[in-house]
Amino acid sequence: MKKFAYEFVLLGLIGVVLASAAILDPLFLSQNVQLELSSEIWELGLLTLGMTLIIITAGIDLSVGSAMGLCSVSLGLCMHANLPAWLCGLVCLLTGLAAGAINGTLVAFIKVHPLLVTLATYGMYRGFAEGLQSATTNAPVDASDGIKSIVTGGFPVIPVLFTALAVWTAILLRRTAAGRGLYAIGHNEEAARFSGIPVARLKFLIYTYTGLLAALAAICYSARRSATAEAGMVLELDVISAVVVGGTSIYGGRGRLIGTLLGVLLIHETRQFVDWYWQRSELTLIVIGTLLILAVLGHRFLFSRNPQTQ
Amino acid sequence: MSDMSDPMITIENLSRSYGGVQALSQISLDILPGEVHGLCGENGAGKSTLIKCLTGVVPPNTGTITVEGKPLSSGDIHAAEEAGIAVIYQESTAFLDLDLVDNLFVGREIQKFGLLDRRAMETQAQAVMRRLDLTLDLHTPLQEFSIAERQMVEMARACLRDCKLLIMDEPTASLSARETKTLLGLANQLREAGVSVLYISHRLEEIFQLCDRVTVLRDGKLVCTTSIDQLDRNQLIGQMVGREVNSLTRCEEREGQNNEVRAKIIGLSSHGQFSEVSFEVQVGEILGIGGLVGAGRSEVARAIFGADRYDEGEIQIDGISLKKGSIRAAMDAGIAMVPEDRQHQGLILPMTVSENLSLAILSEIMKHCLLNDGTENERVKQLIQHLAIKAASTKMEAASLSGGNQQKVVLGKWLAIKPRFLILDEPTRGVDVGAKAEIHRLIRELTAAGMATLIVTSDLPELLALSDRIQVMCEGRIAGEIDGASATEEQVMRLAFPRGEEQPI
Amino acid sequence: MKFRREGSLLVLVVLLSLLAMLFDSSFVPDNALDILINGIPTMIIACGVMLVIVTGEIDISVGSLLGLLAAMLGLLSSTVSPGLSVHPYLAILIVLTVGTLIGLGTGCLVVFGKVPSIIATLGLLIALDGVQDWLMGGGDIKHFPQQLRNLGTGTRIPVNLIIAVLVVIGTGLLCRKMAMGRRIYAVGSNPSAARVAGISEAKIKLFVFALTGLLTALAAILWVAKLGNVSTSTGAGLELKVVTCVVVGGVAIRGGRGHLLGVVLAVILITMIRTVLNFMDLGSEAVKWQRAIEGVMILVAVTSDHFTQQQQTGGSA
Repeated sequence: MKKFAYEFVLLGLIGVVLASAAILDPLFLSQNVQLELSSEIWELGLLTLGMTLIIITAGIDLSVGSAMGLCSVSLGLCMHANLPAWLCGLVCLLTGLAAGAINGTLVAFIKVHPLLVTLATYGMYRGFAEGLQSATTNAPVDASDGIKSIVTGGFPVIPVLFTALAVWTAILLRRTAAGRGLYAIGHNEEAARFSGIPVARLKFLIYTYTGLLAALAAICYSARRSATAEAGMVLELDVISAVVVGGTSIYGGRGRLIGTLLGVLLIHETRQFVDWYWQRSELTLIVIGTLLILAVLGHRFLFSRNPQTQ
Repeated sequence: MSDMSDPMITIENLSRSYGGVQALSQISLDILPGEVHGLCGENGAGKSTLIKCLTGVVPPNTGTITVEGKPLSSGDIHAAEEAGIAVIYQESTAFLDLDLVDNLFVGREIQKFGLLDRRAMETQAQAVMRRLDLTLDLHTPLQEFSIAERQMVEMARACLRDCKLLIMDEPTASLSARETKTLLGLANQLREAGVSVLYISHRLEEIFQLCDRVTVLRDGKLVCTTSIDQLDRNQLIGQMVGREVNSLTRCEEREGQNNEVRAKIIGLSSHGQFSEVSFEVQVGEILGIGGLVGAGRSEVARAIFGADRYDEGEIQIDGISLKKGSIRAAMDAGIAMVPEDRQHQGLILPMTVSENLSLAILSEIMKHCLLNDGTENERVKQLIQHLAIKAASTKMEAASLSGGNQQKVVLGKWLAIKPRFLILDEPTRGVDVGAKAEIHRLIRELTAAGMATLIVTSDLPELLALSDRIQVMCEGRIAGEIDGASATEEQVMRLAFPRGEEQPI
Repeated sequence: MKFRREGSLLVLVVLLSLLAMLFDSSFVPDNALDILINGIPTMIIACGVMLVIVTGEIDISVGSLLGLLAAMLGLLSSTVSPGLSVHPYLAILIVLTVGTLIGLGTGCLVVFGKVPSIIATLGLLIALDGVQDWLMGGGDIKHFPQQLRNLGTGTRIPVNLIIAVLVVIGTGLLCRKMAMGRRIYAVGSNPSAARVAGISEAKIKLFVFALTGLLTALAAILWVAKLGNVSTSTGAGLELKVVTCVVVGGVAIRGGRGHLLGVVLAVILITMIRTVLNFMDLGSEAVKWQRAIEGVMILVAVTSDHFTQQQQTGGSA
């Protein structure tokens, strides 16, 4: 169990947040409130699945929020045109795949640094989303009944989908050759390549997967609120924070999905509670930012590796 | 030769430990002025720790170092520099993005009124380059120089200061014979000027050629310090290893050769690197590729393995043409390569020994699409036994192994795919004598058992001892072929040098 | 080809100018000064961030920091409640000090706390944004004393431009003519070799982070001076603009190389893009696509950047 020491710390922190809530305003913990607030967690969670894989390979994707916005707009346009729900969804997914594939191609095959690529696509995707929206509907599009019924209908489609994807991603990481390959790439890409690991292919796939997840998150968001170019604004910060707080090293090679999930939970609950109780968004920001830094400091302090013997 | 005056450097009772490991214990030795003092020992014997203590990078736990009678403050890089201790490392401590002048003066720039005095630095740079007989452009970024030239720049850097002790740590590992000769000449120059040299090398020929005395370390302890004429090569090795070892005699019995061609390389060309390279390797045969650094040997090896693309030509394995530029295709055809750079290409240092060993056979240790621990552990155990890898546990980081064991892990990773054609690029560089012998034995065994082997090595004795045939490359082309059994170093060298160049003596 | 990057950027600047001149032949003389002045905050901060990236680190908190410092300046010097109405020069001094200290703090997190700079500055980006919101309590801050405003809207002499030029010259001097500059590049180029050469990586990195904090403060002051207004969105997104300029300007993300000249040209180019797009008045439709076009141009710059870098480094060692 020592291997999961950090995850236990995260669990403890979540406990602290919930305990504080219990003391300060137990209403926060009531089922209705939690259910209401939890609707946002799926979007964050979905995006972190892909981001975890990317950061493990020592990469990064700053464009997930913007891709989400672009997907949301494409969904909106389809809904506006009264296309059937399945078609709307398909177009949205394809948009996400395309966005992810562009990132993937540039990072994996053209070999541009992921920070630079996603910095550019961060602006580009958001720009296209805003442009498309202004040029057509010039306003957010309410979710069509079709989409609404699928997402927020009786059967909890999103939670189930998320759980399935999370489990699949976790297994992928720990117990498949591809996962071992991702860790290897994160540690030493050249040596991984020299060992026959399909580096370019794996990298392409994880960025594309992240694009797909952005599309799913967009569908979630649009059903919950509306399809707009603003979807996912600033969300990438939360996504990266959740993954890093969850114990994944930004340098690559280390990280577990269970840690990411706990990170998501911690960031989500903290954000929701601070918002709920103090009702001041600035406080939330300060807390989240501090949490991110303290998490990394704490991780290093508690689990500092033995200095290498020469 | 040195005169028996007061020692230049005195080391007394030096000890240093890291974590629980005693890297140096109670080392006492002295170095005389104008002496070239060799330092030998297997990897892990404590040589680099000793260097770090001398240069102030790391403070010793106990003991003192005295330079010309004055004690040296420990753990202080600047103090060591001021005292006249300079070091040339094997790994590049060069700043590739900076130009030559910057490289010479980083950390001790000449300044005037707070601004850099470029003119003064350039003048001094010119002077030192002249002294060393180097003609490199001062304003070129170091990136554009060859590895050998960069090493020369570091020598220049070390010579800028008034040097009392120059430590040379495996300086010739990446140098060609001619460059080595220049370097050794420089060491002699310094000796005549009264500078002491501490010379660390695995290349025993150099030790015997250059040194007055030699100190042997083993497991952190001083084994002996003797004058070089009181030892012969095997005795020296014996002192280092604790037993007599000799792997460099040729095995006259060559088994397993049956003239069946395993690998055929036809007209391979890559613009700017090599051209019209053709040769064959038979089953049960070890083909050695000799030549100077920069002749294109490693490039050919990488092209065969698919790590680099090539422009023209064909590679056939068992008669079937191989797709170019694909490591996967090469592996599927049964090719394995132990690369030149162990730390950056061969191993993933933060991963465990077990993970490194299984890295190339991930598809084989799966059951129902998932990695199977049991299968993995079994295969890993087999490899560790076969290669006699010394590791306390398979779950330890590869980084914590000694050089020789690390190389065995790389070799093991590749042997796991049961290769039909094994390429080795500098397989025993930085490997201690004991492990070197084991690796040689393994190569011979595996080849005899039905593999074809290609070995690229700058270590001439190794090349001559192992190869059945030797192809020598020169400036990107095959210069000639020599029969392994009767080859001599001169023959190899003669082919390795471009026509019209001065031959080394 | 030593100044290949700078050459391409110069060509782009010229092309863009020519394009604008097709619409209105007096574009350049009319707008050149404006473009330069618009680019001042970016330019000043880019000088600092460039040095940070050269040492192999990154700082994406500069936008939030600028906003925070602008808010602080506002609160200190505004003549209208809740402003404290201290003497503007004192306010400036305080802001410069706080900026430097925060920069130094960032450096400490990275050097001593060993927090990866991308994470440390990401956390600060988020947190400082919160602090800015908190300080401002919702409303914009206006009504700044004339002495302060003069820095930005000087009647005839563009004081802010002069300051920016001095900063650029100073940074250039640092890079080329001072030992500290060489060491900054050395640390980025080969950290372990730098250590062995006796250079203190800690001191160098603390210096560049602190300098960036100082420069951000300076930029904040000039920003406020020019606009006369601080809102909660002041500084938002600036870090991305700065990093983009630095990278497009030829500074390698892995550190160790890059010329200030390239960064200067990149700032001019990127500032120009927005102005030119606005100017060309391609109709209200096109305006909405502005950000997208910018994004595409940056993507092209960054990708082609990659190819030129490849060519420069040539074959492997």
